[in-house]
Amino acid sequence: MSQATWGLLALAAACLTLRAAGLWLAGPLRPDHPFIRWAASVAVATLSAFIVLAVLAPAGALAAIPWPARLAGAVAALAVLLAPGERVLAALLAGLGATGAVWWLAA
Amino acid sequence: MRAGFRAALGAPSIAMAATFLGFSAAVAAAGLGLGWGLAAGAFVYGMPGQLILLAGVTAGGSIWPAVASAVAANARFLPMAVSLAPWLGGGRARWLALPFIAVTPWAGGMRALPGLPPEERLRWFMGFALGCWGTALLACAAGFALAPALPGWLLALLVFSNPLYFGLLLAMDRANPTTRRAVIGGALASPLVLVLPAAWGLLAAGLIGGTLAFLWGARR
Repeated sequence: MSQATWGLLALAAACLTLRAAGLWLAGPLRPDHPFIRWAASVAVATLSAFIVLAVLAPAGALAAIPWPARLAGAVAALAVLLAPGERVLAALLAGLGATGAVWWLAA
Repeated sequence: MRAGFRAALGAPSIAMAATFLGFSAAVAAAGLGLGWGLAAGAFVYGMPGQLILLAGVTAGGSIWPAVASAVAANARFLPMAVSLAPWLGGGRARWLALPFIAVTPWAGGMRALPGLPPEERLRWFMGFALGCWGTALLACAAGFALAPALPGWLLALLVFSNPLYFGLLLAMDRANPTTRRAVIGGALASPLVLVLPAAWGLLAAGLIGGTLAFLWGARR
């Protein structure tokens, strides 16, 4: 097997183990248990940090998009979401549209 | 189960499809096979880790540093599984959800499950999760076929739909003070990623920002 396949197998096993450990650790605890609330807080904070970095200081493919375009996309998506009706699909499409438009204007 | 599946068709599926389409096109560009892309989508099922592993494969050399970074980037599965578990019921049946715990099903579940009767929660989650997972794998296959025709700017936009959608999910939960505090904590801790290795930095930002947010909430 190639290194790519071994790496994939190892990563898949590790991800499954992380999920299993979470289900096992939670055991019979109720949703309002402090440990569960702490874990939820850590999960949301991790996601929040991931999003902030993807918009403000991304690596990889996202770095090809100029920062004004990323920021415009995030602002447009939020603006549409906060409008009456809270339409998430429209907000997502508006965000992608604004990102593409500002990128095209900046090019 | 049908209600969950229907809920997955819409914004969650579009965001998943766009992201996995972009990932799969990048897999094809790296010279890897469709089987590798599908296996990554199905069994890792966590885009930051998938992208880090792919970058490691593309860079050449030993794969193990990339694997370690990818595991750290996907370490959020642990707290996500802990926080989701009580909503899936206490029996062994909750283990059916094991392979599907990822950001989109977790966020959808955390929003919908508290409002459902306990006996319907696991079925709803399985429908939602299977809808997202199936869409992701179909998009993976489509992305592989379309890869030669997709320009770089479109791939970047497709990948951007992922954080954009996650941001919308968090914004939809803005009325919940616990979520608000955790979002602020994570955002304030995010510069840690710039001073620590990227994958470990994200984990550190989540742990520090999330713990401070939890303590902030406990004091109020």
